[in-house]
Amino acid sequence: MAASLEVKNLTKSYQRKGQPPFVAVRDLSFEVMPGEIFGLLGPNGAGKSTTINCLTGFYPPTAGEILIEGFDIHQSPKKAKQHLGVCSQEDTLDTDFDVLDQMLRYGTFYRLDRFQIVKRARELLETLGLMEKSNELIENLSGGMRRKLQVARALIANPKVLVLDEPTTGLDPDARRILWQLLTDNRKLGMATLLSTHYMEEAERLCDRIAILFQGAILDLDTPQKLIEKHIGIEIIEEEIRPGVFWKRNPNLEDVFLKLTGKSLSAGEES
Amino acid sequence: MKTLSQLKEDFWPIGCVWLRYFDVYRKNWIYGLVTTFVEPLLYLLSFGYGLGTMIGSVEENGISVTYRQFVFAGFVAQSCLFQGFFEAAYGSFVRMYYQKIFKAMASTPITLSEVLWGELLWDATKGTLSATAILTLGSISGDLSPIGSLFAIPLCFLGALLFASLGLWMAALSQTIEQISYPQYLLVFPMFLFCGVYFPLETLPQNLQLLASFLPLTALLSLIRCLTLDFPFQIQALAVFIFWLVFMIFMSRDTMSRRLVK
Ligand SMILES: Nc1ncnc2c1ncn2[C@@H]1O[C@H](COP(=O)(O)OP(=O)(O)O)[C@@H](O)[C@H]1O
Ligand SMILES: [Mg+2]
Repeated sequence: MAASLEVKNLTKSYQRKGQPPFVAVRDLSFEVMPGEIFGLLGPNGAGKSTTINCLTGFYPPTAGEILIEGFDIHQSPKKAKQHLGVCSQEDTLDTDFDVLDQMLRYGTFYRLDRFQIVKRARELLETLGLMEKSNELIENLSGGMRRKLQVARALIANPKVLVLDEPTTGLDPDARRILWQLLTDNRKLGMATLLSTHYMEEAERLCDRIAILFQGAILDLDTPQKLIEKHIGIEIIEEEIRPGVFWKRNPNLEDVFLKLTGKSLSAGEES
Repeated sequence: MKTLSQLKEDFWPIGCVWLRYFDVYRKNWIYGLVTTFVEPLLYLLSFGYGLGTMIGSVEENGISVTYRQFVFAGFVAQSCLFQGFFEAAYGSFVRMYYQKIFKAMASTPITLSEVLWGELLWDATKGTLSATAILTLGSISGDLSPIGSLFAIPLCFLGALLFASLGLWMAALSQTIEQISYPQYLLVFPMFLFCGVYFPLETLPQNLQLLASFLPLTALLSLIRCLTLDFPFQIQALAVFIFWLVFMIFMSRDTMSRRLVK
């Protein structure tokens, strides 16, 4: 089976005035297969958004190649992006349109026919619990609803490859659960999903494979179980959570991350 | 040679972006009408009819016209400047910085280059709408040549495109929305006051006249008055106009792309 998304030796550096360029990601290679959810797990500043901005064709890579359904995103952006849905880390909703119009408008950018777009938009809004807001202006939505809408918008063209930059950061548990469900349903339909996250739980539960990203490099790449087995083992960990109180738990990705980097996942950018 | 269907293919995405703007304009059509048409109308009434009755006639390049005719044609160019610049400068800053929809649209099969073309063409369209309103009024009132006014419409589109490009360029250079005031006060207002909208350039001191003759609004005005008032055609005005048009379009697109794409 051919990969839906292929990243080969991606390097991206940012030009800086009066300083040497800053290498934000270095020599990343991975692929995402149809029906796979692939996670980029890393703390703030690891290079997740940089990677994603290159994958979606917005930033040109300094070196390397990105193929979406076999099309190079920089050589043939239109063909590649026809198969791509993107949800950026920033809120990029078009506040000049209401919820439903927002979806329809983006559908036209993919040249879908009107009937198809309306049907798909309604399905997505229904699934995400946004249907009764369909004629509401964006400014009247809560943060969680805006995020859900942005993911729904990324899905309007039923893309083969879905790329999400920290889709659940700051979301309430309920909205997060609904999004996870949507992504799992899409996986069954063969969609290839790449998402970035710094939530260990999200990576562990949702992702088939994970790349641990730290300071712009992939430290390891495997299924969550294998990563844990390889670096920590399967033995139950006993921690003293309060003086004299011991707590037994399974090893998790946070332990892996700590072992590999000496830092905690939730730690911010060190600079 | 490209076939018609290939051309259609190339322009389709740009049309899509343009349509996004047009739909927003249409949705808020009262707001659209007020912002596009009221301002030039107020100027017209105040200067054309108010001041015009006091001044009588003016002479430029050996041709004498009534002040109302003179300033009518001036307002055509001024509306290209104001509508083009303000829509592009403030509007595109909001779309680029606050809404971030340039990025959102460029994440679909539409490219950033096409998004920026759509933006500029829309801003130019808006300028053309209000310039056309004045041309129509001027033709009806008998102040402007109706045939000349018709030919002036495409010229106004290019003029508005020029000033829209200036606006987009300035938006791309501004770190905050307030900073757009600098080009507004230092470029747009001086042009509006000293390029010959309100009085013939010949009344200015020599140095200022020379400086003004290199500014894009002066060039546009000369061409508009040539079409609508039968002023003599000045080839150097056409050259200055084309130079600024090409230069501004290039700078605006290049600077905005660099700002967004790292
Ligand atoms: N436009 C830019 N110019 C210079 N450095 C940048 C730019 N964008 C991001 N960086 C730097 O690149 C690194 C990776 O950033 P980013 O990809 O946003 O990380 P993440 O999304 O994982 O939080 C950070 O150190 C950040 O400061
Ligand atoms: Mg990020």
